[in-house]
Amino acid sequence: MRFLVCVKQVPESNDLKIDPNINKVLKKGVSTIINFFDQFALEEAIKIRKEGDEIIAISMGDSETKSTLMRCLALGADKGILLNDENFLESDTFGTSNILAAAIKKIGDYDIIFCGNSTLDTGSGQVGPEIAEILDLPQATYTESIENVEIGKIKIKVQTDEGYSIIESMLPLVIAGIPPSYYQPNIPPLPKIIAAQKKPFEVWNAEDIKGDKSKFGSAGSLIKIIKLYKPPKREQGIVITDEPKAAIEKLMELLNKDKVI
Amino acid sequence: MIEFTEEQKLIKQSVSEFAQRKIAPIALEMEKNKEIPQDVIKGMAELGLLACTADPAYGGSGLNAVTAGVIAEELAKGDCTGSTCVFYLVQAAWGFLLNKYGTEEAKKEIFPKATAGDWFLGIATTESGGGTDVVGGKTNIKKDGDFFIVNGEKMYISGVREAATNGGGHITIAHQTLELGSRGMTVFYLPLTAKGITPTYIDDLGREGISCGGFSIDNVKIPKHYIVGEENKGFYIIHEGYEYARALIAVICAAAGLKSLENGMNYVKERNVFGKPLAKFQEINFRLAEHYTKLEMLKRLGYEALRAIDLEQEGKGNRFETSKIVAMSKMFASDWACEAINDVIQWQGAFGYSRECPDQAAWRAVRSFSLAEGTREVMKMIVSRELLGKELISYK
Repeated sequence: MRFLVCVKQVPESNDLKIDPNINKVLKKGVSTIINFFDQFALEEAIKIRKEGDEIIAISMGDSETKSTLMRCLALGADKGILLNDENFLESDTFGTSNILAAAIKKIGDYDIIFCGNSTLDTGSGQVGPEIAEILDLPQATYTESIENVEIGKIKIKVQTDEGYSIIESMLPLVIAGIPPSYYQPNIPPLPKIIAAQKKPFEVWNAEDIKGDKSKFGSAGSLIKIIKLYKPPKREQGIVITDEPKAAIEKLMELLNKDKVI
Repeated sequence: MIEFTEEQKLIKQSVSEFAQRKIAPIALEMEKNKEIPQDVIKGMAELGLLACTADPAYGGSGLNAVTAGVIAEELAKGDCTGSTCVFYLVQAAWGFLLNKYGTEEAKKEIFPKATAGDWFLGIATTESGGGTDVVGGKTNIKKDGDFFIVNGEKMYISGVREAATNGGGHITIAHQTLELGSRGMTVFYLPLTAKGITPTYIDDLGREGISCGGFSIDNVKIPKHYIVGEENKGFYIIHEGYEYARALIAVICAAAGLKSLENGMNYVKERNVFGKPLAKFQEINFRLAEHYTKLEMLKRLGYEALRAIDLEQEGKGNRFETSKIVAMSKMFASDWACEAINDVIQWQGAFGYSRECPDQAAWRAVRSFSLAEGTREVMKMIVSRELLGKELISYK
C-alpha cells in the first residue's frame, strides 16, 4: 500500500513578531518545528505499514521546510517531496489544498492520505477535508487511531462530541488525525537522522505538478487578510482567596462593578 | 557562528526534545538521588548519544566534534545539574580516543556495551598526588606476556560508581618505562570491575547525578588488547582526548550560562521592585548585556575549537593551532559562566539561594570545569607556549 502524509512546518514559539505594513508574521530567525498533529498522522501511517508499503511525506514551503521533511524521513517515511514555487506563495488553506491535491494527483497511486487535523499556527482544520473534496474522496476527521486496514478498506476510531465512534470506509480515503491526550511525539534517534540523509527527496515546482495555476497562491485564495495583530496582553486577573461565602460576595461586587451582570 | 548542516540541526532538535522532556523535569531530583535514572541513560543510548564518536561498526554514531558539541549544548540547556553533560562528554571525548587508537578487539568489546548504556566509559588520569602534572603520577604498568599488570591509584574521577557497579571502565595512563618520563607512558583501558580495583567515593560540590571517587589499583591484570595506541607513546596521544573534552566543556559552559541568563531574564521581567520591573534597573540590564555577550563569544569559540579538531582529523589542521584554540576556548569558560550564573542567583534574591533554584545547581556544576580536563592555569600555559615558544614556558 502507499500512504501519503501531508505535513506543515510551523513556528516553534507563540511569541511572534508581526509586520503591520504587510500583515505578515516575521519568520526570519524564528525556529520551526513539524506541526504536532502532522507528526501524529505520520506515526499512525508508520504503525500500520507492512513490508512493501511506502510512505511519502509531502510539504509545501520554502527551502527551510526541507528540515521538516528530513525529520519525517528520520521518523520512518520512505520519501520526501517538497512543493516549492513562488506561485505557491500567499496561498490560504484553499490554495494550499489545491496545490497538495495536484501533487497527490501527480503521485497517482495511493491508498490513504494522512493529514493532521489542524495546525498549531492557523488552526483552521480545513486542508484535510478540502483535499478530500478536490480529489472526490471520502474523509474522516478527528481520527484518533486506525483499528484495522486491509486492501481496499479501513476501520478507524474517531473522536466525537459524545466520545468515540468506530467507522468503516473504502479506500482511498483522507484521514485527518488528532492524537489522544497521552500522545508524545517520537524523537528521531541519531542513526535514523543520519540514514535519512540518503533517502529519496524531491523538490517539485508548479510546472511539475501541473494543475490549475489560477487556484494556486494569492490568485487561488478565497481568504484575504485585512489585518494581522497580536491580541493585547491580558492584565493579571484578581485572585479571590476568601472563604466561600465571602468569596462569592466579593465576586458579585466585582462583576457588578464591571457591569458584567 | 558556525552554520550547522541539515543533519546537525535535526540532531540538535532531537536532543533538545529529549533533554527538555526527560531530563529537565527531574534534574534537581537526580542530584538528590545522586544518580542519573536508568531510563534517562537508556533514553540517551536509544537516541545514539552515548560514545557517539565511536564508529557505527561498533555501535556508535560516528559523529564529528562539531556534532558532538551540538549534543553537549542541548544537554546543558536541559540539565541544570550538569550530571548528564559530564556523563555524555567523557564518553564522547574518550570514546573518540579509543575509537582512533584502540585495538579492534577492545573496540568490539567495549563500544557495543557503552553505546547501549550498559557500561560506563570515562577518563581517569588524576591521582591524589597530582592531576595537572600527568607525568608526575605514580601509577605504573608492566608487560607480562600477553597481559599487563597495573599498580597505583586514581582520584577525583567521574563515574567510578557507574563503572564499578554496572560495568565499564576508564581510559587511563601510567608509566611503563619510568626512567623515560613522558616518553615512557602508556594509555590503556582499565575495567573497574577487574580484580584488584577498590573504589572509594567522594561527595562533589555539584554534578551530583554522576559519581565522583577514586580507586586503588592492586596488581590488576589487563589483556594486551586494552592498550590504546603504542606502548610508551601514551603522553603524545592523551592530549587529543583532553582537547576534545575541553572544547565540549566550552560549549557546555556557554549553554549552561545562557540558559541561566534566560531564567534570570524571565525573572527580572516579572519581578517588581519599587513599582517597576527589576529589568528596568540599569545595574541589571547592563550586567545582562555583558554576560550575554561573553557567553555568546564563548559559544562561538567553543564551536571553532571543535571545528579545529575536525579539520585536524581530516588532515587539514595543525596540531599546535588546535591545542591553542581549544585552550583559548576553555580558559575562561567556567569563570564566565559562573559569573553570569552568580548574578542570576543574586537577581532572584532568597529564592536564588535555595536548593529549589536550578541556577544554584548550574553554578555548582559549571564551577568544576575550571578544574576538570585541565585547569584554567594549564590553558594559559598552552596558549602562552604557542605564542612565545616552548623555550619560554614557565614550568621548565
